[in-house]
Amino acid sequence: ACSVLVMAEWCEPVGRVKGVLLDICGVLYESGDGGGVPIVGSVEAVKRLKEANLKVRFCTNETQATREKFVKKLQNLGFDITVDEVFSPAPAVCQVLKERGLRPHLLVHDGLQPEFNKIDQSNPNCVVVGDAAEYFTYKNMNEAFQILMGLEKPILISLGRGRYYKETDGMKLDVGAYMKALEYACDIEAEVVGKPAAMFFLSALSDMGLEPDQVVMIGDDIVYDVGGAQQCGMKAVQVRTGKYRPCDEQHPTVKADGYVNNLAQAVTILLEHLH
Amino acid sequence: MSTRRILKAVLIDLSGTLHIDDTAVSGAQEALQKLRSSPVAVKFVTNTTKECKRTLFERLQKLSFDIHEDEIFTSLTAARNLVDQKQFRPLLLVDNSALEDFEGVDTTDPNAVVVGLAPEHFNYDTLNKAFRLILDGAPLIAIHKARYYKKVDGLSLGPGPFITGLEYATDVKATVVGKPEKSFFLEALRSIGCQPEEAVMIGDDVRDDVGGAQSAGMLGILVKTGKYRLADEGKTNPAPYLTCDAFPQAVDHILYNML
Repeated sequence: ACSVLVMAEWCEPVGRVKGVLLDICGVLYESGDGGGVPIVGSVEAVKRLKEANLKVRFCTNETQATREKFVKKLQNLGFDITVDEVFSPAPAVCQVLKERGLRPHLLVHDGLQPEFNKIDQSNPNCVVVGDAAEYFTYKNMNEAFQILMGLEKPILISLGRGRYYKETDGMKLDVGAYMKALEYACDIEAEVVGKPAAMFFLSALSDMGLEPDQVVMIGDDIVYDVGGAQQCGMKAVQVRTGKYRPCDEQHPTVKADGYVNNLAQAVTILLEHLH
Repeated sequence: MSTRRILKAVLIDLSGTLHIDDTAVSGAQEALQKLRSSPVAVKFVTNTTKECKRTLFERLQKLSFDIHEDEIFTSLTAARNLVDQKQFRPLLLVDNSALEDFEGVDTTDPNAVVVGLAPEHFNYDTLNKAFRLILDGAPLIAIHKARYYKKVDGLSLGPGPFITGLEYATDVKATVVGKPEKSFFLEALRSIGCQPEEAVMIGDDVRDDVGGAQSAGMLGILVKTGKYRLADEGKTNPAPYLTCDAFPQAVDHILYNML
């Protein structure tokens, strides 16, 4: 296929890239009422990556539903994706809670609750906050706040720290805004599980059996997808879909290794540089 | 000590200084009368976000304070003045009881966001609405950024946390109009037409009343009523010009030492 010669240092040298880490919301699809809508070309793009024998993992901060339900939704939209390929904060935080003997008060979306079924939530000694969306009522926020204020050692764990994301009906506040609200109210600092925590990216890399310089991250959040991945030693590409805004290309601190219109274009460029 | 100009104005905090809930501080009414017999201008300043001027005025009247409604300057007044000055059309996230102070303001097709203590508006949908406006360029005006306030059944989130969340999400800094912002005190004095060096503030909150006033160039008198806690006077730098038992003692000091 004939294509314009594109500057794509993030694919070079030829043969370096062996795996791809994909963000989901804003890259594969846009969430919203009725399950959401795939972004043009993304279903095909994932297939093409796998057909080219590249390792593919999905790194998402999605916390409104369990991984199982979430993946089922994407499969229904036509995506070739399985639960094992998805890295999301809930399973990661359950591990952290177990390791540290923490019993959480959950300020999360109802749909995420089942991920914590095996976790002791009695007599909470910490608060876990996720993308609770409409469950971020004043009452629920106040409850979490009062619990933190009542702890001798208040621990707030946030599932990601994103500022906002795009749904089909517009931009919406993400968990980060609510994390900041509780930090300010209690005068504490939250711990973040999920993007952009290095641990989170590295666990996906480890699962692929690849080094950071063998993997490219593709995301729509210039700071937490692109910046976060770069900080782990990966090359990272910004798509112009999802929460992308033109000012992202002049971000004061993060310069993506590439800016592409969408996942489909990123994959086309990548596949041209494979052999 | 630098030379000070003559005293022209006294700013007086309300809750905790003149009264505690529905009880006047003992002797406060007489003290106010004495102050009025001197040549200083008097203004009552407060950070309320839930009560409109009329409600405050009626409460003070009931407690037999000699006060005029237009002598009351609140953080809501400060916000209203700013909105008028800049001709903003605000999305008002303020308590229903405070809306009266924004009467006459055009709120159609909002191009600014004003946030006060308004638990009924701190829900996901309304905050998203505010967020989108700010992301599109609307300025964010905060009545004040209190972290929490005391209720009968415990602590409750104030507007501060939600304003902080909006600031983080939009990468925009809020313009805070209430105490202890310098602009609040300067705006309160503007209508009297005097300089901060010609004014003194009397209040029970070492940070918001005394600290704020002194940062603006005024002298601050800390009273040991209301939210005052032991050793509060050591918590602000510079220390309060004076710390005394209550409002009547503060007035006596002014009358005998500062005029």
